[in-house]
Amino acid sequence: MMKPHRRKRLGIILFIAAGLSVAIGLTLFALSQNIDLFFTPTQVAQGEVNPGDRVRIGGMVREGSVESAQDSLQVRFATTDYVHDVDVYYEGILPDLFREGQGVVVEGSIDPNGVFQASRVLAKHDENYMSPEVKAALDAAGASADNHPMQPES
Amino acid sequence: MWTWFHRLGSPKWFYEISGRWLPWLTAAMLLFLAVGVVWALLFVPQDYQQGLTNRIMYVHVPVASISLAFFPMMAVAGTVSLVWKMKLADMVVKVAAPLGAWFTALALASGSIWGIDTWGTWWVWDGRLTSLLLQFFLLIGMISLRSALEDGDAAAKACALFSIVGSINVVVIKYSVDWWNTLHQPATNFTADPSQPNGPEIWVPLLLMVIAVYLFFIISVILSTRNEILYRERRAQWVEELVSQS
Repeated sequence: MMKPHRRKRLGIILFIAAGLSVAIGLTLFALSQNIDLFFTPTQVAQGEVNPGDRVRIGGMVREGSVESAQDSLQVRFATTDYVHDVDVYYEGILPDLFREGQGVVVEGSIDPNGVFQASRVLAKHDENYMSPEVKAALDAAGASADNHPMQPES
Repeated sequence: MWTWFHRLGSPKWFYEISGRWLPWLTAAMLLFLAVGVVWALLFVPQDYQQGLTNRIMYVHVPVASISLAFFPMMAVAGTVSLVWKMKLADMVVKVAAPLGAWFTALALASGSIWGIDTWGTWWVWDGRLTSLLLQFFLLIGMISLRSALEDGDAAAKACALFSIVGSINVVVIKYSVDWWNTLHQPATNFTADPSQPNGPEIWVPLLLMVIAVYLFFIISVILSTRNEILYRERRAQWVEELVSQS
């Protein structure tokens, strides 16, 4: 079987690996807020974002909130986590996947009127893939009504 | 079990047995790849949101999932090389690093192409993308470490330790989408129910592609390990006989 000096060497390796895992785990735990890509509308409502700070906010595009100008690329919509909303103003080309009820991440800052002036809009897609037929059948059954991937976690 | 394990320590034995495996592995890979590619690129239904774009998944997911296999594999081989001083294990650690860097680069590139079409950006510094980019740099660092150390034993030790430590990043990559909010989607839960999202019409061709790319990964590691065996054992008699025959 294993010779003692090999067992000792394996023990040292396991000890180093375990020690480093704990150290890195604690570091990541301490950094966890900073590694998040975006703030949620609830965090904005709780005052975690100062007006003027460049931040990203992530949420769903509220159904029925999108107003686009006829003669320009200006668009207004509300992004929501279905608890709080943030109004967003953006002028530019939206990603193909941008639509009501879909996830977005907007980059920019909150102006003095409380409107988020976005300089970039990214579309977020969820982890569900299906054909339009399956989607239609699910919608008919009303099964996907509570399928919001970006609900706040706490 | 231990005799089998100790036989693995003989590069000559591995060279002979892997030579017998290779044709079978290659045939199986070509079969899975042919069926998988045709099915995934021509017959998978269009996605209700992304249309045809989600077919990038059938390249991105296999490549990305296998890029996560390199560090654990190198860590196991590195541990064997540290504890048992097995030469073959160190060869695997050595040849896996550049292969892993390629797979990681492909995962990043295919993800970027998917990203520009769905998210509207090539790149975003979220937890998933950043931790995978870190893996790419770790692998580049490991290649440099190997070539910087001229003493083979020292290089073997350093790279083995590096791969064990680097494996921790794989856990971070895997759970990045759960621990933090990211632009990257969380892992998809596939289901056997065809009336639900992520049903068999989506994942069966994906499974074929994952198997095909896994076989490609195994074949690549075997081929480069054989190369490394010939190089390191070039003064051994069996290699000289082999070379004189060809």
